[in-house]
Amino acid sequence: MSPSEHWRIERQPGEVIDRSQPINFTWNGSPVTGYSGDTIVSALMASGVRVMSRSFKYHRPRGVVTATYFDPNCSFQVGDEPNVRAAHRQVREGDVVRAQNAWPSLSFDVRAANQLVGRFLGPGFYYKTFIRPQTLWPLYQKVLSRFSPGGEPPPIGTPHEIFDKRFAHPDVLVAGGGPAGMAAALGAARSGASVMLVEEEYELGGHLRYGGVESLAALASLRAEVASFDNIEVLTDSVVLGRYDDNWVGIVQRSGMWAKERLIKARVGTLVVAAGLIERPYVFEGNDLPGVMLATAALRLTGLHAVKPGTTAVVFTANSTGDEAVARLRSAGVQIARVLDARKGDDVVRALGRGKVTGVEAGDGSTTEADLLVTATGWTAPTSLLNMAGDRPIWNPQAARFTPSELIDIRVMATGGIVGDGSTAELVAHGRAVGSEAAARARGEVPQSVAALTPYPHPALFQSTTVGFVDFSEDVKSKDIVSAAREGYDSSELAKRFTTSGMGPAQGKLEMVNTMAVLAEATDRDFESTGTTVWRPPYAPISLGALAGRAFEPERISPIQSWHNEHGAKNMVAGQWIRPEHYGNPAAEAANVRSRVGIIDLSPLGKLDLRGPDVVKLLNLVYTNSWDNLAIGSVRYGVMCAEDGVVMDDGVTGRLGADHYLMTTTSSGAGNVWDWLEMWLQTVHREWQVTITPVTTALVSINIAGPHSRELLSRVTDIDLDPASFGYLKVRTGSVAGIDDCIVWRIGFTGELSFEIHVPASYGLHVWQALLEAGKDLGVAAFGVEAQRILRLEKGHLIVGQDTDGLTLAYQAGLGGLVKLGKDDFSGKPELVLQEARAGDHSHLVAIETVDPMLVPPEASQIVVNGNDIVGRVTSSRMSPTLHRSVCLAHVPADLAAPGSRLTIVLTNGDRAEAVVRENLAFVDPEGVRLRG
Amino acid sequence: MAQTATTTGGRARTRGRAARYSAFDIVRRGVTHSEWPRSFNEHELRTTYDVVIVGAGVHGLACAYYLAVNHGITNVAVLEKSYMGGGGSGRNTAIIRSNYLTPEGVRFYDRSVKLYEKLSVDLNYNVMFSQRGHLTLAHNDASLRTMNWRAEVNKLQGIDSSVIDAKEVGRIVPYLDVSADTRYPILGALYHPPGGIIRHDAVNWGYARAATHLGVEIHQQTEVLGIETAGGKVTGVRTSRGNISTSMVINCTAGWASTISDMVDVKMPLVTHPLQAAVTEPVKVFLSAVIVSGSLHVYVSQTDRGELVFGASVDPYPSYSMRGSLEFTEGLAAHILELIPSISSLKLLRQWAGLCDMTPDYSPIMGVTPVEGFLVDVGWGTYGFKAGPVAGEQMAQLIATGRTPDLIAAFDLARFADGRLVGEKGAASVGH
Repeated sequence: MSPSEHWRIERQPGEVIDRSQPINFTWNGSPVTGYSGDTIVSALMASGVRVMSRSFKYHRPRGVVTATYFDPNCSFQVGDEPNVRAAHRQVREGDVVRAQNAWPSLSFDVRAANQLVGRFLGPGFYYKTFIRPQTLWPLYQKVLSRFSPGGEPPPIGTPHEIFDKRFAHPDVLVAGGGPAGMAAALGAARSGASVMLVEEEYELGGHLRYGGVESLAALASLRAEVASFDNIEVLTDSVVLGRYDDNWVGIVQRSGMWAKERLIKARVGTLVVAAGLIERPYVFEGNDLPGVMLATAALRLTGLHAVKPGTTAVVFTANSTGDEAVARLRSAGVQIARVLDARKGDDVVRALGRGKVTGVEAGDGSTTEADLLVTATGWTAPTSLLNMAGDRPIWNPQAARFTPSELIDIRVMATGGIVGDGSTAELVAHGRAVGSEAAARARGEVPQSVAALTPYPHPALFQSTTVGFVDFSEDVKSKDIVSAAREGYDSSELAKRFTTSGMGPAQGKLEMVNTMAVLAEATDRDFESTGTTVWRPPYAPISLGALAGRAFEPERISPIQSWHNEHGAKNMVAGQWIRPEHYGNPAAEAANVRSRVGIIDLSPLGKLDLRGPDVVKLLNLVYTNSWDNLAIGSVRYGVMCAEDGVVMDDGVTGRLGADHYLMTTTSSGAGNVWDWLEMWLQTVHREWQVTITPVTTALVSINIAGPHSRELLSRVTDIDLDPASFGYLKVRTGSVAGIDDCIVWRIGFTGELSFEIHVPASYGLHVWQALLEAGKDLGVAAFGVEAQRILRLEKGHLIVGQDTDGLTLAYQAGLGGLVKLGKDDFSGKPELVLQEARAGDHSHLVAIETVDPMLVPPEASQIVVNGNDIVGRVTSSRMSPTLHRSVCLAHVPADLAAPGSRLTIVLTNGDRAEAVVRENLAFVDPEGVRLRG
Repeated sequence: MAQTATTTGGRARTRGRAARYSAFDIVRRGVTHSEWPRSFNEHELRTTYDVVIVGAGVHGLACAYYLAVNHGITNVAVLEKSYMGGGGSGRNTAIIRSNYLTPEGVRFYDRSVKLYEKLSVDLNYNVMFSQRGHLTLAHNDASLRTMNWRAEVNKLQGIDSSVIDAKEVGRIVPYLDVSADTRYPILGALYHPPGGIIRHDAVNWGYARAATHLGVEIHQQTEVLGIETAGGKVTGVRTSRGNISTSMVINCTAGWASTISDMVDVKMPLVTHPLQAAVTEPVKVFLSAVIVSGSLHVYVSQTDRGELVFGASVDPYPSYSMRGSLEFTEGLAAHILELIPSISSLKLLRQWAGLCDMTPDYSPIMGVTPVEGFLVDVGWGTYGFKAGPVAGEQMAQLIATGRTPDLIAAFDLARFADGRLVGEKGAASVGH
């Protein structure tokens, strides 16, 4: 295809193309040349292309309708990017542009055969067929999915490009950079407000850009004035996506910065909606033929891109924009074959032609030859953002459009076409007044009302006497809406859902009012009682990339992680943390702890520093056991239950001083527990004096476990480790490996003599290495999470979330001894009282031994009775390197919980195995001799 | 089962009275230009009904249909304050599955899947049930353990459900990033081949159409204002369009379930949370299965039209707001791109929210209440649409026989006082 200057007209005063910069791209494989500043579609129009796409259902040829972002027929595949709005996207050198939804080609599409059976493809036809035989439905479905209307998904391996996010706090945000929007920005800026002015096109100006000489002059002066204010930030090619609670506003910026797209999140003082008006198509037979377009489309193509959209035109006009189109087309060299004036009773009945307009039949029955039919039949106010602020727009029958009702939120205002009409001067005056008031409201001043801008009267024109398309992108005709209503889908929501009218990419911006008009007529109702459907965010589509930003997922690692990686650690994902699962041989690591000494990096352990005179009250409230008599220098294990008595977390808390405690939580529960404590303090017991500081990452936690652990620690610390003074469940502070203020406590998750050290994080690696160095002769070695799991299982210690689930009460987890029902009140008490009253009537956590000692039943194996009736399950299961047999914890019902009860386990491969319930949860050292040594 | 036989009988009646849907009839009407008749009959609100169902969502409509077709009870009014299927039934992400965690849950949802499988034929309305397979991804050993647990429970109940490894996941859905060096590597998945998606509107309309042609009356734009009782028994319903006398009221609402129950002083342990969803613009079909990731709090499927439908877990705070939030879409997109990194240029088209009545154990509340004649089918959390057919069938049986069917006995209101919870949190919280 060669660039055809035939369609490019002489230089226009408002043109946005740079004729000195040709841009080459391809369209369906053929080279096309446009100019810098062209949209893809304007460049194609300039080259004589008229068919832009094939329609979704009938594969009818379609051309330009609105020449805007929301043009229903101009979604293209550009390179690997599908659904590019080509009437908005500026053409770039080397773009590979293809039509979507056409096969084998745009000019010959075999699926256009659907038109022949169109009468059978009414609304919801798929609900009425393919019902029998059921076996063929999957096949039908495959065929239907071939008709999916979009472009090709980006190929596997397409990289996530650079997207960014930004926060902003403007006093006033103006959505829409037309004359009223610019004026509103100026009005606000003049009174000192910081203003963000957001315009969806590439330049400010709105309809002034493609207006006449006077409009352009007014625009130039407005632009200059805007540019003179430092406190107005202009964002072009940017769209306000939505207004959320408390004037939280999302904006997508699509070009003009280093990132591909940017999501701006703004907390706005006052939001001014100046979204203008959207021109509405007219419904008549052939209204979807290439060559039928809106007056604003004709004005845009001629005024902005200097493209002549046809040679001979009929213009159907009901307003001044249509009149302007007549004049403009004439001056662009288009022959005006006929002007049909709706205000004088003229009508368009049908556009004639196959694949393109060849003529127009008027209401008087006469036919005019033309290749262009321009309609100007009315406007739709895009009230979307106002809807999101709680406004329900009202149908204004005189103006034939919706207008906002009284805005409820004083921090949301509107100006411009969305509220009313006027000369440029009147729009600007209203905009300035609204902007100034918006700034005042942002300052917190008492709201004053602004003189109203009222809409001009406009004939109510929606559909002709013939049947036409209401929704181009969904291929919905007016008769489809009529038949949906007759079938009973007669409310606006049901009709929309049944016909899918307004469900396509424009989301009702072009379609909703006509759909309502057709429905109102079909059901013999007025607009008011037909209702509207709710506009939902986002106002314009936004890429997943822009929403995701840099797709940055935080990763937490311990300060010792570099050492782990250098020493063969196999890491695992544990919530936000990455940590060593083992260093090659977890069984050997566990055995080393039992026989000599091991150290493990427990830094992910949740840690909360609690201070204040009321900490004990808080501990008594959230833990099931009593904390009244915990002495300074002692630690205690506690279990937390939610209000339903379900175990939610566990851990050790130590008392470091009179009013100072350190609480540890499970690694995965750290955030939840902090939330939980703050919830109690901030909402229930605001009188309590407790300060919580999360110190999880401020402290590195290292556990030294094994018979030689005391010896090892003694070599690096000044703390007196004599068991007589530093017994089990005691805490001391002191120096470790030369680092002061380390917290050391004696606990024993592994079942061995062990010391847990909490070290200021930056010294963690130093202490870790000092321990390894000092204990060389003792056989010290690092162990990972897996070895710890083996050791704790041998000891019969449960893991919350593994050996308990979302319903396990403290009693069921064998933690009954830690529930002190005598306490005043604590979280979960009522449910635990109930459970205690019928002790035994629930499942129990028990230790079990398989009859075959070498069999390690997979975790999650089910315990059954009577064949396949599930009564319990194995929650933890490992081969014990200490006992050389399998060790398991399991949930079993009360009648199978007694020691010696025989169980049938269904293994995950379907085999069955026998097991016996043990006396004690601990397999190793049930008396706790090692622990307390 | 006896119901199967009556269902068949009822179908014959349906066919006799409603316009028949088939390819042949579409062609016939197309050729003769004859219009389809109304699918839903319109009625004046009468002053007395045998049964009043509150809420014309899938639960209320299914209950009405099964009352009529299985039990011949047709003097039934379904009252809807807005339009039918406009609540959760039209806002869900239309995923159907039965791979639950508790034996009670699995049995119940399995019956629902079975009913869904033949629903198009039963209703003579294509509900477009697409059993494309359902994958719940595991990104850490804890979730893999839960997947194993579910698979074991499922298998013992005869459900097609198993844990597969990452390689197999990648084979089923090539677009998923199954490499080991991602932030949340996919370690495996619970694979449930019979799971899939459905056209939720079609289910609602299919039930409504079949029920109305059996004589049930659906009254849209009819709000329940109060429920009258005398001596602990239901005697009537006050509505925005007049009063009705009846001895049987079924609360089939969501979002307002506790409001309706409050009318007869039946307290419900419900907390209402919004659940958000979103949809992209269409691209050609590339995603065959339904993908769920509990760790990333997201689920996604692609409709036959090519749109990606996304959902997540419920919002973390109680609210009646049905507006979407910006944060939801940000988190959603970030998580989706973790799973499917190549699609960052796809565009989000629309977001919305529905209301979920959450119970403490993530199982529903079904059956009788202390008020005679006031039954509930509520507390459906995020899993109500999946259960529409079975809930309707079982509630209809309860109404007709006066006895609580075994399949729903575990879900009674009294369990909260008696401490017999049915813990589905592990499979239901993001388990779509």
